[in-house]
Amino acid sequence: MATRATTPPARAQSVDRSVARLFEAFDRVPVAAVIRHAEDLPRALASQVPAVFFVRAPAFHLGPLVWAVQARGKMAFVHIDLIAGLGKDRAGVAFLAREIGVNGIITSHGALVAAARADHVIAVQRLLLYDDLGLSSAITAVEHARPDIVEVQPAVIFPLVADQIRARHPVPIIVGGFVTEPGQRDAAIERGARAISTSTVSLWP
Amino acid sequence: MLPAIRDSNSLHQALDLGYRQLLLERGSLLAMVGPLAAVARQGVAIFVNLDAVEGLAGDSAALAFLATDLGFSGVLSVRPHLLRDASRFRLRTIQRIHALDSTGLETGLNSIGLPAPYAIAIAPAVAIPQVMATIRQSTNAPVWGTGFITTAQQANAVLAAGANVVSSAHPDVWRTFVRDPLRD
Repeated sequence: MATRATTPPARAQSVDRSVARLFEAFDRVPVAAVIRHAEDLPRALASQVPAVFFVRAPAFHLGPLVWAVQARGKMAFVHIDLIAGLGKDRAGVAFLAREIGVNGIITSHGALVAAARADHVIAVQRLLLYDDLGLSSAITAVEHARPDIVEVQPAVIFPLVADQIRARHPVPIIVGGFVTEPGQRDAAIERGARAISTSTVSLWP
Repeated sequence: MLPAIRDSNSLHQALDLGYRQLLLERGSLLAMVGPLAAVARQGVAIFVNLDAVEGLAGDSAALAFLATDLGFSGVLSVRPHLLRDASRFRLRTIQRIHALDSTGLETGLNSIGLPAPYAIAIAPAVAIPQVMATIRQSTNAPVWGTGFITTAQQANAVLAAGANVVSSAHPDVWRTFVRDPLRD
């Protein structure tokens, strides 16, 4: 292996997978940085966000990105549904949990939430709200899957459904999807979201 | 305004209000195949969301049935290959695109295939004011909005943002729009 001027981040010895600690951090800074392009990562690392969501990186080059996040004392989450090259199955979750050592995974599939639980990583289940007629069955799917955190998307829907979701299922909620302005962030927090997720760099404090 | 129906009850409510264009958004198509075929024969334009209705396979046999046996007007789907097949049956094709976050929207807009769809349908419609600028950077196709339109005010905001058609599953909203039918 070639020697480098700077040491690349190595896999952490132990990975913090405490949901309680994540939300303590979100209570101070209620923002997760969504990384759509690798060039945005340095800004996220330099920011105060407690968590970084990877939504599109290729699976087999994720390690150093995740470890760089963890070296800054932040938690790294990987959206397994969108990651290229990785099976959307138990083995895919196990790879992220054991080989990469992610803090958590993000998925919209209940079966992968169960796999995350089996591998002791934090499970964020996306509640994808594109159709009001499907809302009830979407909430039922979350009730069955029992994720640690629900991420409601898009943010513009959250005020319309916040009460309904909470009445059915008391789980910490984060809100994402087209959060590009401070007003949208504040509206979500006001309605009870514990954090927002956004790829808008200006919203990373 | 395009009423989104899911059963014979909502079908007749929309017809009673005078709507001549309908979107079958959910429910079992096969459970209401008789009434649907009858109204299609009377010249009512029926569009079907292939991603959400029950009882249909996503294949050519299903499309042939919709086009030939039932006389439907068009289909909506996120799957470009299904729309390509549908265009062979002279069905109007509406590419569904989920507007849940910027990553997904980008993927959806990139999935628009050939032949060019008759329109694109953005779901949920309430996101349209936030995403119209992004949509117009990649396509000039007419924009329909479906999902989470529960008030006439929301519907108007979506049309004001540049959508050509807005769909709602709520009869109260249909009533408000009775004098402003689907623009074609």
